[in-house]
Amino acid sequence: MTFDFIVIGATGEQGSIASRDLLESGYRVLLCGRRRSAVKTLLKKHKRARFAEVDLRNIDSTTRVIRKAGSPIVLNCAELTWNLNAMDACLKAQAHYLDLGGLQDMTVRQFKRNRAFERKGLIALLGCGSTPGIANVMAAHAIADMDVVDHIDLGFAWKSNMKTFVLPYSLESIVYELTVPAIVLENGRFKKIRACTLEGITRFLGVGKQATYCIVHSEVFTFHRYFKHLGLRSVHYKAGFPHHSSSVIEILIELGFVSKAPVATPSGDIVPLDFTSSALRDIKRPKKYKETEDLWVSVYGTSKGKPTRIQMDCLVKSTPGWGEAGSNVDTGRTIAVMAEMLHHGTIKEVGVTAPEACVPPMPFFRELEKRGMRLYKNRRRLSQKET
Amino acid sequence: MRKPCIAVLGTGSIGKRIIDDLLETFDGSVVAIGHSRRSSLKELRKSSKLILRTADVLDSSSLLKVLQGVDVVIHAVHHEFNVAVMNACLKTKTHYVDLGGLYYYTKTQLKLHAKFKQAQLIAVIGMGAAPGISNILAKYGSRDFDRVTDIEIRIGVADQSTYRHESPLSAPYSIQTLLEECSWKAAVFRNGRITFREPFSGRERYKFREPVGWQKPQFTIHSELATLPKTLRARNVFFKIAFPDSFVKKIMTLRSIGLLEEKRLPVATAILKKLPPSIPERIEQFEIIQVILRGMRRKKKSSIRVEAHVPTSGETIDKDTAAPASIVAQMMLRREWAERGVFAPEEIVPEELFFRELSHRGIWIYRYSRKIS
Repeated sequence: MTFDFIVIGATGEQGSIASRDLLESGYRVLLCGRRRSAVKTLLKKHKRARFAEVDLRNIDSTTRVIRKAGSPIVLNCAELTWNLNAMDACLKAQAHYLDLGGLQDMTVRQFKRNRAFERKGLIALLGCGSTPGIANVMAAHAIADMDVVDHIDLGFAWKSNMKTFVLPYSLESIVYELTVPAIVLENGRFKKIRACTLEGITRFLGVGKQATYCIVHSEVFTFHRYFKHLGLRSVHYKAGFPHHSSSVIEILIELGFVSKAPVATPSGDIVPLDFTSSALRDIKRPKKYKETEDLWVSVYGTSKGKPTRIQMDCLVKSTPGWGEAGSNVDTGRTIAVMAEMLHHGTIKEVGVTAPEACVPPMPFFRELEKRGMRLYKNRRRLSQKET
Repeated sequence: MRKPCIAVLGTGSIGKRIIDDLLETFDGSVVAIGHSRRSSLKELRKSSKLILRTADVLDSSSLLKVLQGVDVVIHAVHHEFNVAVMNACLKTKTHYVDLGGLYYYTKTQLKLHAKFKQAQLIAVIGMGAAPGISNILAKYGSRDFDRVTDIEIRIGVADQSTYRHESPLSAPYSIQTLLEECSWKAAVFRNGRITFREPFSGRERYKFREPVGWQKPQFTIHSELATLPKTLRARNVFFKIAFPDSFVKKIMTLRSIGLLEEKRLPVATAILKKLPPSIPERIEQFEIIQVILRGMRRKKKSSIRVEAHVPTSGETIDKDTAAPASIVAQMMLRREWAERGVFAPEEIVPEELFFRELSHRGIWIYRYSRKIS
């Protein structure tokens, strides 16, 4: 069987959400990962799904799997550490590439593959989840109405209806974001500041008041790349976790439970981060547990010569039937939407690029709305007509 | 005539304190048994009385070899090895003292009573601060009553030390024991029956005497519950210990996300053991081991509060765990009692003599607010 899409990391949470979205839309999907057992439900439920073992540490074998599958589009949902390996495998196998983001450092390195992708007429679309992803397209949509863009603040804030700790997304990414110095754009220059610098308390749509902290994220780099010609001088990325979640993560960091240095135990050497990730994945969400997330972008500049601020929000709630994923559906389902747009030719770019540069906002927002994600501009819901 | 010999099995922080106490107060040979010569044995103080040996507590043959010629062994390794070391003692004819068995191990150890009696040996189990001093305080207090109904044990610590670097999780004693206390259900004796409560439950605001002051003691599993209900025939017994709020918050967080589940405990312990220790600038600590007894005296309801006060300056409060083991091991060699078998401290240790020895080490016993030692 040939496939429409290949999902690498389909065995993880986001990969599995993306795969399910595509399979439910009727596509043939090759689910790739290291543990077949993690996708057995999808394989059982969908006749158009198959599994192939892929280990991104081995680029050649990954290339062989992509070639054999005959699909021109690869969704990489694995940990960001492996993004370059996945890109190289796609280049060798002549396949388009999408991923969920690489924070600043990896994103900069990924953009260096631009020529290689351009030469082969392929696209590598970086950061296709919620943020980066939805946030980038919202920024592009807001900026379309402006003559000059001075600065952009963006980020996410979420809450749950119960004060139970649930791992919001990859522990490795969270730890990286909260411990590595944040990179901000100030006066047109990238500047490192202490990780988790408090940015203040803000009232978010659907979430309410929450403290936000500056963290490293890829949008700071890509916004500068694509919007500096409009005068963009400042970008800050801000994360907002509910206190019951951030306090647990802080303790795990403080007590060494997310260290990558192996520790000798009675059953051999163990990496604390792997041990903790596995334990946290075992936490079951209580029945009736619900999350609400606000992905937001505030763009400051001028429109028709007048000072203007445009606020975009995407409100995501736990989706019925996707309960285990909580508001996390906005990452896995978004990469599926962008992959589908690429499949249909709605995205036409080649080379290494980011969503704000190539994803047409309205058709994209329409697809999000179909999936229960609500878009707001200046706190007013985008009407069906608009999207 | 051959000089008597006491061995200390384990050269961790408590083991070292016991060795120090023996070197200062015991006129005989002291054998320090560590896992390897290179590590902790090297850090011990130099003394002509001290003999260094190595053994693996997991290897019974090496234990048998190292205990040959030893009169009393003080077991200061983790309590999961208590029974193995006691069995080795039966073979080498060595008296035995340990620092506690966290309820379950204590129960198993008591079953060796007949074997120790037959071998004409003594084992005193749970002979540290708590269990240990706490049991003997309870015994001392019980002498005021015709019938004891309630025994309440509470431990509170004030730490006014200053630190150059403070560990993110300052553990007052073995991190492994502490994590077990935090993850195993706490035994509470109520209305003549043993019940099990969630670890760290029963947290209450409670005022100890100054300088310890207001604390929040809570239930944890402890050895006292394995012996006191039987030996003093009380109907209600509980053990509570107070930890700083930040410590409790961190432990409860780890517990709430499943990191302290039985299957994960060894890895969690290994991770926490890697944390950098606190580096003190000035040590100033104060511990109170408090026992309140209630019961009937001359047909009237009565109560009593007895306490051990452990003020320290320039040294940590774990001296109150080390000193009792050293005192009782030396009592065994002075043949202070004739009984043989496995005993809880309250069954065999003469209180007044024990309190006097504690006072020589700066640990004071109070009956209400009157110092009695």
